[in-house]
Amino acid sequence: MDKLISSVAVRALLAFLLLVALGPILWTVLSAFKDLRDIVTPVPKILFTPTLDNFATILRNPTIRDGLLNSAVVVSAAVLVGAVLGIPAAHTLARYARKWGDDVQFFVLSLRFMPPVAIALPFIVLYLDLGIYDTLFGLVLVYLITTVSTIIWLAVPAFERVPREIEEAAAMEGCGPAEIFWRFSLPVAAPSLFGALVFTFVLVWNELLLALTLAAQKATLPVVAASITSLGKEVPWGVINAATVVLVLPPLVFIGLLMGLLNSMVRSGPK
Amino acid sequence: MTRKRFVTLTLIPAIGLLATLALVSIAGAIWFSVMNRTLRSADYEFVGLHNFLRLLRDRRFFNALENSIIWEAITVIGTLTLAVLLAVLIFETVKKPLWRNLICFAFLVPVLLPRVAAAFIWRFLYSPSLGVINYLCGLVGIGPVEFLANPSLALISVAVVDIWQWGLFFTVILLKLLETLPREPIEAAKLDSARTWEIHAYVTLPMLKGPLISLTLVKAVESLRSFDLIFVMTGGGPGTATETLDLYAYQMGINMGGRISYASAMSVLLLIVTTMAFVIIWKAGKKWTN
Repeated sequence: MDKLISSVAVRALLAFLLLVALGPILWTVLSAFKDLRDIVTPVPKILFTPTLDNFATILRNPTIRDGLLNSAVVVSAAVLVGAVLGIPAAHTLARYARKWGDDVQFFVLSLRFMPPVAIALPFIVLYLDLGIYDTLFGLVLVYLITTVSTIIWLAVPAFERVPREIEEAAAMEGCGPAEIFWRFSLPVAAPSLFGALVFTFVLVWNELLLALTLAAQKATLPVVAASITSLGKEVPWGVINAATVVLVLPPLVFIGLLMGLLNSMVRSGPK
Repeated sequence: MTRKRFVTLTLIPAIGLLATLALVSIAGAIWFSVMNRTLRSADYEFVGLHNFLRLLRDRRFFNALENSIIWEAITVIGTLTLAVLLAVLIFETVKKPLWRNLICFAFLVPVLLPRVAAAFIWRFLYSPSLGVINYLCGLVGIGPVEFLANPSLALISVAVVDIWQWGLFFTVILLKLLETLPREPIEAAKLDSARTWEIHAYVTLPMLKGPLISLTLVKAVESLRSFDLIFVMTGGGPGTATETLDLYAYQMGINMGGRISYASAMSVLLLIVTTMAFVIIWKAGKKWTN
């Protein structure tokens, strides 16, 4: 009997934990389909007539549409350039740089931890002087710090896991280092590399401070979302919830990949 | 192509770009911190340590410093405690792989949310008039509680959101690490009829000491970037009750008046603290992997 009670208690606790993890998000999704009338009720409503008005408002609003577009352009450009520069560098660091490779990796990872304010302040002055303040190019440039460093950081272990025999056999066949990288190491490491790119994408997609500081008209989606609250006197909660849902969707698509990345990192981590 | 040329060709563009951008921001921050540059005028001159000395007399700076320290303590301790407790609980009670995976997926969702989105989600939940949390408080006879408008509650209320995102994420990492541990020491402890909590307190968690230290330091550095969450949820208010260092630096340097130099002095201090923390993380990480 005791066992039964404790197993019921454990189940209840786990159900509660799942509710704490997902409840707030589900509630937001639910509220995104609500009329403002159904949101502003003394007792929270579970049953209501769903409406698409909030999403329509968002997609019709030019500021939000532009934000979505700016975010898509800036984030994909920064991740793409980051990948082109970072992935070959990571391969070299993993394979050819024994002695000073550690120092380079230290430097690269330390950038990932720089306080964004310390980047934002000098760059705003520099951008104003250079005339690239409030341009998509400027945002991409500053995001390269994040993307290149994160991609190198995550791609080095991916290349270290490529079996050495493959590369040695290719070298015996007379392949040069570039060919070995392109034809042998890259395809083997590709799945983990994809995970790394996704992780980097999420990081930059979520970024607020730099986008807020270095652009005004060319605002990205987080900046636009952050400014919705001040639309008029009445807080448009339905619209805010719908905007949150739009903001949340792209990162969530990648959750399975993040899980795989985590699994492989834990497995290769403590030896 | 020779190996040496390949190495140069792959490393120089990436590292060169990073070094340039990093140098611009670090040198720029230090340079402006000893000047009197503002966003209003392009003229500026050398003022030495004036900005740093003024910080020492700035009440609002010490308020921000205090808030940052409290924020660090709450979020780091809260995240790690929650993660350890939940990871052990799930490790002991959920044995079916399907359920475990389901829980892991659910726990990864919050950390993937953009901070701005997480901030909105919780502002909505916290809302005194239409939030679910206050509705639940009302059912048990408390409230309405002004989670974000009450100066003594606001910082903790925002920290809860940070712990919600990171604590659940770290739970998944710790659970995966627990699964990789060898079974023998745990079985041996069981034979000695150790209790479940004793096994974890004296056997498994000490085996994970290295990763736990690394996670703590990673969270400590990550917590220094409190900006997004606090900016959207309270904007530093009420008053300056939730204003941390990076928020104050932003307000000073960009939002009001654009006192770049004064804000730079603050960001230089932040930079020094972060660098010191990072060097420790790196050394600890190296020690653990070797």
